[in-house]
Amino acid sequence: MKATAERLENNQVKIDVEVDAEQFSKAMDQAYRKLVKKVSIPGFRKGKTPRVVFENFVGKATLYNEAVEIVVPDAYMEAVKTTGIEPVSQPQLELVQVEEGKPVIFKATVRVKPEVKLGQYTGLQVTKPVSEVTGEDIENELKKLQERHARLANLEEGTVQQADIAVIDFVGRQDGVEFEGGSATDYSLEIGSGSFVPGFEDQLVGAAIGETREVTVTFPEDYPNEDLKGREAVFTVTVKGIKRKEIAELDDEFAKDVSEFDTLEELRTDLANKLKEAAEKRAQQQINSEAVKKAVDNAEVDIPDEMIETRLEEMIENMERRLMQQGMTMENYFKYTNSSLDELKNSLRDDAARGVKTTLVLESIAKQEKIEVSDEDLENEIIRMAKNYQQDPKVLRKILEGQNQLEYVRDSLQQQKTIEFIAGRAELVEGANQKEAE
Amino acid sequence: MKNPRDILLKPVVTEKSMSLLQENKYTFIVDLKANKIEIRQAVEELFNVKVDKVRTMRVKGKFKRVRNRPGKTPDRKKAIVTLKPGNKIQLFEGV
Repeated sequence: MKATAERLENNQVKIDVEVDAEQFSKAMDQAYRKLVKKVSIPGFRKGKTPRVVFENFVGKATLYNEAVEIVVPDAYMEAVKTTGIEPVSQPQLELVQVEEGKPVIFKATVRVKPEVKLGQYTGLQVTKPVSEVTGEDIENELKKLQERHARLANLEEGTVQQADIAVIDFVGRQDGVEFEGGSATDYSLEIGSGSFVPGFEDQLVGAAIGETREVTVTFPEDYPNEDLKGREAVFTVTVKGIKRKEIAELDDEFAKDVSEFDTLEELRTDLANKLKEAAEKRAQQQINSEAVKKAVDNAEVDIPDEMIETRLEEMIENMERRLMQQGMTMENYFKYTNSSLDELKNSLRDDAARGVKTTLVLESIAKQEKIEVSDEDLENEIIRMAKNYQQDPKVLRKILEGQNQLEYVRDSLQQQKTIEFIAGRAELVEGANQKEAE
Repeated sequence: MKNPRDILLKPVVTEKSMSLLQENKYTFIVDLKANKIEIRQAVEELFNVKVDKVRTMRVKGKFKRVRNRPGKTPDRKKAIVTLKPGNKIQLFEGV
C-alpha cells in the first residue's frame, strides 16, 4: 500500500492511497464468499453458485462495491497511520480506479486537528485568590454541626412554633369534597420548611397538641395539578404531637459526641485546619483555571466545525445520562424547559468551542514542553482511581484496558500535568494590585 | 442440414450441470426432435470441438394449474455431451 498526504486549506488533508492489486483480489474473494450466501440464483442452492456464474448473474460491479467496502476502510486507517495525520472527521472518499488485477486508487479528504498558534503561556498574571479562614467561618461550621446533631424531643404539651416538627393528620376538601392526595395521617411537617402550599404551615402556628384546626389555603397558579391550581381548599388538621429540635450546648461534651476529640478547643482547631485545606484547594483550582483560561486566550486556533459538533454531541450525551440518573428523559426535559434540541445545541455551542480549544491548546503546550506521562504515573493514577472505586488496581487496569480507556486516562493525566505546568509558571498577583492595574 | 443453433437451444446452468463440467460433460436443452447424431454435429460445428459421446433424455413438462385450469409446461429434450479429452467449451454467455 502506498499513501501520500497533501495539506489543503481549512485544516483539510488529501490523502492519495494505492492498494495493491493482490490485496484487492483477496478482497474480491471475500466479497464473493460473503455475497454468494445471500443471493439465490435459479438452478443453484444458496451459497453454492460458482464464482463465474455468480459474476454473470449479479454483475461485477456489485462485487467491486463490496470489495471496496472491505478494502478501503482498512487502507484508509493504515494510510492515516503511515502519513501521521490526526483526522477529526469522517473522510470523504473518492474512488479513482477500481478494477480487478489493477491496484485500487482512491483519494480521501479529511479534516485534521488544526495547528495551534500558541501565545504566551508562562509567566501569566493570575489573581491570587483569598484563602484565609476567619473565626467566623469556624463558628458557622460549628453551628452547622450543632444543627446536624440536634435532637428531636417530643413535647408533652405546648403549642406549635416555627421550626417545630408537627405530627398531623389532615383531610383536604374542596367545595366540601375530598380530593385525591389531600389527606394523610401521622404526617411529619416541619413548620417553616415551605414543603406545603404557602400559608398552610403558618396557620398551624399556635395550635396545641390535640387541637383540630381548619386551614384554608389557595393553591398557587403555578401548582402542577391542573384541577387544584388557583382554587381554594379547606384542610381539617389535627395536631397529634410536636417535636422540637434541641440544640446541644457548645462545650466539651458536645465535642465528644460529634467527633473523636475530647475538648471543644481541639475540635475547633481541627475544623480550622480542614477549612483551611479546603480553601487552599479552592484557591489552587482558581489559579489553575484562570491560568489555563489565559493561556487559551493567548493562543490562536482555527477550529474545524466538525470538532465542535463532535464535542456538542458528547456534551448532550453526558447531559442525557445525567437526566436518566434523575429519572428523566430528554423529551421531558425539553418539555419542562420549553426548549428544543436545536436551542440547547445553540446555547452549548460556545462552551463546546471553548472546550475544544482548551484541549487543543493544552495538547500543543504539552507537546512543546515535552510533558509526558510515564508508565509509572499511569500506574499511580490507576491505584488512586482503584481506591476511589474501592477496587483492586489490577482488576481496574484490566477493565480499563478492555474498554480501551487506558489512553483516555493517560490523556487526562497529561492534561492535568500541563495545567499544573502552566499554573506553576504563572505570576501570582494580589487581588488589590490587579484592580489598580486595570 | 439444419442450422446448429436450431438444434442446441440453450445451455443448462444449474448446480448439477456445473459439477458435470469436471467430467468434461456439457449439458444443453436441445430441439425435441433432434437425435444424437445431429447434436454431435451441431456441437462440433458450433464450438469447434471433438465430441466423444452424447446422451439424451426427454424431460416431461410439469403439470401446472392456472386458476384451477389444468395446463402443462412443454416437454424438453436434454443432452449431455461428453467431449474428447483436451476439448473445452467457453459457454457462459449468460443464457
